[in-house]
Amino acid sequence: MSDEEHHFDSKADAGASKTYPQQAGTIRKNGYIVIKGRACKVVEVSTSKTGKHGHAKCHFVGIDIFNTKKLEDIVPSSHNCDVPHVTRTDYQLIDISEDGFLSLLTENGNTKDDLKLPTDETLLAQIKDGFAEGKDLVVTVMSAMGEEQICALKDIGPK
Amino acid sequence: MVAIERACSLIQMHMNPAEAEKIINPLRQSSMPYQTCRFILENSQVPNARFQAAGAVGDAAIREWGMLTNENRKSLILFCLHYVMEHASAADAYVQLKVSAVAAQLVKRGWFDFVEAEKIGILIEVKQAILGPHGSDMQSAGISFLESLVSEFSPGTSTAMGLPKDYHEQCHSSMELNYLKEFYCWAQSAALNVADKIVSCYANISEEKVCSRALRFMFQVLNWNFKSSPNALDNSSSKSNSGSFGIKPDMGLLKKFERSLVEPGPSWRDALLSSGHMLWLLNFYAIVREKHSSDMLWFDSPLAVAARQLIVQLCSLTGTIFPSNDGEMHIKNLTQILSAVIEWVEPPNIISGALRSGRSESEMIDGFHALLSMATLTSTMLFDNLLRSLRPFGTIHLLATLTCEVVKTYVIKNDDEQTWSSEALDILLEIWTVILGRSGNDKKFSAEGISSASNLFSTIVESHLKAAAESVFEDDSEADYFHVSISRRDETLYAYALIARAAVETTVPFLTRLFSERIALLSQNNERMDPTQTLEELYWLLLITGHVLTDSGEGETVLVPEAILDGFSGVTEESQHPVIVLSWSIISFAKQSLDPKMRNAYFSPRLMEGVIWFLARWVDTYLMPIDAAKGQLGISGHDEGLQQHPQSSKKVLLSFAGQHSQGEIILDTIIRISMTTLTSYPGENELQAMTCWQLLVVLVRRRHVCIHLVALESWRDLAKAFANERTLFSLNAHLQRSLAETLVCAASSFKDLETSNQYVRDLMGPMTAYLVDISSQNDLKAVAQQADAIYMVSCLLERLRGASRATQPRTQKSIFEMGCAVMNSLLTLLELYKNQSTVVYLILKFVVDFVEGEVAFLSAKETSILVNFCLQLLRIYSSHNIGKISLSLSTSLQSEAQTEKYKDLRALLQLLTNICSKDLVDFSSVSNEAESTDIAEVSLMKFLSSTLLNVLLVSLQVIYVGLHIVTPLISLELLKYPKLSCDYFALVSHLLEVYPEKVAQLNMEAFEHIVRTLDFGVRHQDVDIVDKCLRAVNALASYHYKEKIAGKQGLGAKAMSSEESNGEFQQSILSYFLRLLIQLLLYQDFRMELAGSAADAILPLVLCEQDLYQRLVQEILEKQSNPAIKTRLASAFYALTSTNQLSSSLDRNNRFRFRKNLQVFLTEVSGFMRIF
Repeated sequence: MSDEEHHFDSKADAGASKTYPQQAGTIRKNGYIVIKGRACKVVEVSTSKTGKHGHAKCHFVGIDIFNTKKLEDIVPSSHNCDVPHVTRTDYQLIDISEDGFLSLLTENGNTKDDLKLPTDETLLAQIKDGFAEGKDLVVTVMSAMGEEQICALKDIGPK
Repeated sequence: MVAIERACSLIQMHMNPAEAEKIINPLRQSSMPYQTCRFILENSQVPNARFQAAGAVGDAAIREWGMLTNENRKSLILFCLHYVMEHASAADAYVQLKVSAVAAQLVKRGWFDFVEAEKIGILIEVKQAILGPHGSDMQSAGISFLESLVSEFSPGTSTAMGLPKDYHEQCHSSMELNYLKEFYCWAQSAALNVADKIVSCYANISEEKVCSRALRFMFQVLNWNFKSSPNALDNSSSKSNSGSFGIKPDMGLLKKFERSLVEPGPSWRDALLSSGHMLWLLNFYAIVREKHSSDMLWFDSPLAVAARQLIVQLCSLTGTIFPSNDGEMHIKNLTQILSAVIEWVEPPNIISGALRSGRSESEMIDGFHALLSMATLTSTMLFDNLLRSLRPFGTIHLLATLTCEVVKTYVIKNDDEQTWSSEALDILLEIWTVILGRSGNDKKFSAEGISSASNLFSTIVESHLKAAAESVFEDDSEADYFHVSISRRDETLYAYALIARAAVETTVPFLTRLFSERIALLSQNNERMDPTQTLEELYWLLLITGHVLTDSGEGETVLVPEAILDGFSGVTEESQHPVIVLSWSIISFAKQSLDPKMRNAYFSPRLMEGVIWFLARWVDTYLMPIDAAKGQLGISGHDEGLQQHPQSSKKVLLSFAGQHSQGEIILDTIIRISMTTLTSYPGENELQAMTCWQLLVVLVRRRHVCIHLVALESWRDLAKAFANERTLFSLNAHLQRSLAETLVCAASSFKDLETSNQYVRDLMGPMTAYLVDISSQNDLKAVAQQADAIYMVSCLLERLRGASRATQPRTQKSIFEMGCAVMNSLLTLLELYKNQSTVVYLILKFVVDFVEGEVAFLSAKETSILVNFCLQLLRIYSSHNIGKISLSLSTSLQSEAQTEKYKDLRALLQLLTNICSKDLVDFSSVSNEAESTDIAEVSLMKFLSSTLLNVLLVSLQVIYVGLHIVTPLISLELLKYPKLSCDYFALVSHLLEVYPEKVAQLNMEAFEHIVRTLDFGVRHQDVDIVDKCLRAVNALASYHYKEKIAGKQGLGAKAMSSEESNGEFQQSILSYFLRLLIQLLLYQDFRMELAGSAADAILPLVLCEQDLYQRLVQEILEKQSNPAIKTRLASAFYALTSTNQLSSSLDRNNRFRFRKNLQVFLTEVSGFMRIF
């Protein structure tokens, strides 16, 4: 057990690493995986064999969590796959600037001003409308492998 | 007419159909369109227009039936009939068919309006047409009218016509009693008429058509659902038959191929049996067949098909048509048919050769169907003997040779052309299953039968081995429909196994020999050539051996198959018992997989799957069998007088892997093998799943096996590896859950309570410690979001969940400790991972299982810990999720997110239900030991229940949020919806039953939420849900009534004036439900199994709302226009509330009486109120 803890800590120090190797056989539907250099959410896993008495391989269908393209990959199930670190952080929305950037309040009181509004019309509308109505909005920002995107919205204001 | 013609041709060309419908529809809906239609029918050149006109006549006449005079009605029918007869030879047969269908509908509509003479008048014309003086076209027309008539009169195929079920039933039985046989005879004589010509080759096409039509119609008549011979009489007579003559009809067995037994009753005897009809038919077919023997296409011609269908149907003839005291006639009948049918299937090798070269298989398949019918109707012995009067061998021998041929063809899979072989094999195996699957003396085989079964089995095995060896390099592309094909394969193998068991004495040694040959081949091999073919052969051998030696026994206690237990009567030495020899050779083969060198060389994942599968079944059946000791006694008591041998061979078989001999050694081997599959086959999920879900689960199922298990070094190694080592973390997470469950399960076998708990502590301690450790780290926030940390946490949660699923009274204590230890960590983690839906779900599921396992055992204090924890959990969850909208570009990712949310909701509901079930139990215990429990605890309980309701409110809000999100995605969510609503209604009905007073105190909005969902639920399709809703309504109404009687407020304002802006709940809630329920009962397809709970719900409603009920009944009665029905309905309503000494209380007796009344009411009313 001590072995693992060490492992656990060292990862924390490493910090910079964007992915983590995990055996393909243990990756399940709804997990994350890196396919062709993109962070994907696994929407389908199937297994097959190389010949009847060969070894199992996993067939993954993933959806890129940022640009929603569908990607596929086949990996022998005993090999390791890269699993991205996907983090989600909540920020309170302070302002939307004219040039399409958001002003966000971090937990420790700083502001984060480098996140652009999404380009998609409907998402944009959902955020802008909510903000225009004067609601207190918290946005959840998903980040993985150096990319960031808003993935959820919540009204925390008193009703 | 021109307009309609044009419209019709427009429709046909798919141009502007809407426009065309506008023109045609008025015709169908106009009143009295008969003249117009008549004109169109007679003069139009466009067949489609005539078709529409005919349809319009039918629709209008049925709609306006009451307005037409008897004369009108009859002339309409006669017009249709004459039209059909006159245009019998015209092209566009579909028009004629439609017209005769319309005539049939009208005849049925007027069936009870016409006097007998009128009906006869109509039918006599048909009869004349059929009997043939007016030429063969007329005959065909007449028969096709009868076809429509008969199908109109069978309830399954009749048109609704807006009439009650009663009417259809009456028509059905009147037809059966008075006309059916007559029709049959007409068709028969029509067939006879033309048959001569056909036989002598002078027949033209239309005469052949008449003949095949007549035969087809006779087949249709025999498919009639005969009701006149009462079933009770039928059963007793067939029973007496089966005793003495071996006639033994078995209803269920033909179902697989959508056929049924034919039981027309004694009045048909002269038509079918004594007139020589059967013989004529058989001869006729034989002669015609002889003539066309060179024509390969003839077998599929309508005449041939119809004749064969009729013959096969006649095979299934049974019941009181045969004189009840005498099976002879029936046997004679079967032999007669068999003598004809045998020509279709014999000699097997020539037939299958002909089929391979392109002849149609339909005749052979029909022959097999006939054999199946015979096998179903007769005992095995009789079935075998049927053929002996015709051939030097029995039917079983014939069956075996046939199966041999078919199997040989079947395994050469040229998928494109040879599909018949799989259909044929299906039927043949079904026959085997029928004759071998019976219990008791019925399945005794003759020596000849045994030897043919044994030969058949060797053919089967050899051809399949050959096929296996050949198919080995094909890519396994079956992954998609994997499970379907497995269950189908198992079904086939099961049938093979039955055949093998019929001749155990030879087949088991045969399997042993094949097995050791393959193993020898492997060991000589030393890596010169590719062993894959042998591996596949071994894999297949393992499968078939597993099926022969064991039964699947899903959900039942598995026993050694009878045939294997009873066989080998001469063997007394353990080392000579074939089954034991076979088992040992497989086990020692499996043992070789422990050696890494052997494993890498030979034990491929697939072969290992075979081994594990076999071991799982074998262990369940033979390892330390329960009846090893008991069985002996039972059997010796049973046939004490018999010789010693069979007993001792049984004893040997049952005890060789028993508790006191090699059982433990085998167990040890098996655990080591499982360890190997879990650690040495990384990523082979299927193999590991099989190990965890099948093999290990079987090991801990029986307690006396567990006792040995936990004492073994190897088991302790497994437990240690699970608790302290990293290797098993590489398993798929849900396999870790199952492993945890299995390991904890074994704890129940320790004699001492403390040891059991200590065992669990040792096992799970490291997990909890680790989880606590993670959650209390300082830099948790930074670390936790990393993928490896998430993976670790998920694995641990799965393991905890597995352990809590295995909660038993003995281990409850340690598992509760385990849960308490991680409570705080879980809350931290839930907060931390609020955005990682997978982890959140795992936490919720763990708590659900934990609460479910523990809740029954806990004391009040422990309960309060648990409930407080759950409350915190829910608060955290809802604070993160209420009002949250997830945004995503991708619809599929979005819907995934919804699915996850959905699963969370379900888990929450389950959690609430589980907690609630505790409270119920606790209250009863509180009242039981009221003396000893101090008041503080009682008040604690009260506090808890009120918090619970607050929780319910929270969850209701969550549900509403969830529903709002989900509705746009309904197509995807629809599948999961029933589960969620089931959980939800379970919870609501439970709460209403237990705490109605709390519900009454809810605020208005929440109360309306509940009521509205109930309203939705009552109209639901699912019986379960409706039942729960009815219970909830019952609880509400009863509470209100009781409170009112006691002079209190009851539901008070809520019941009285729950106004809704949209007017849906204008009346009070209770009266709303009363109206709804009564309407459901009367006008909709109400299911009788719900009658009980409906009665329970209606009684308090009626009592609460007496006035309204009276008004409602009046309203319903006034709406009824038919006076006869009106009086029946009125008396039924009267009986509902006034008979059986119904009083106005809600005690159990009274409820029971009302239930009875409602039952009566429903059976009375459903006949005429519901429209079919």
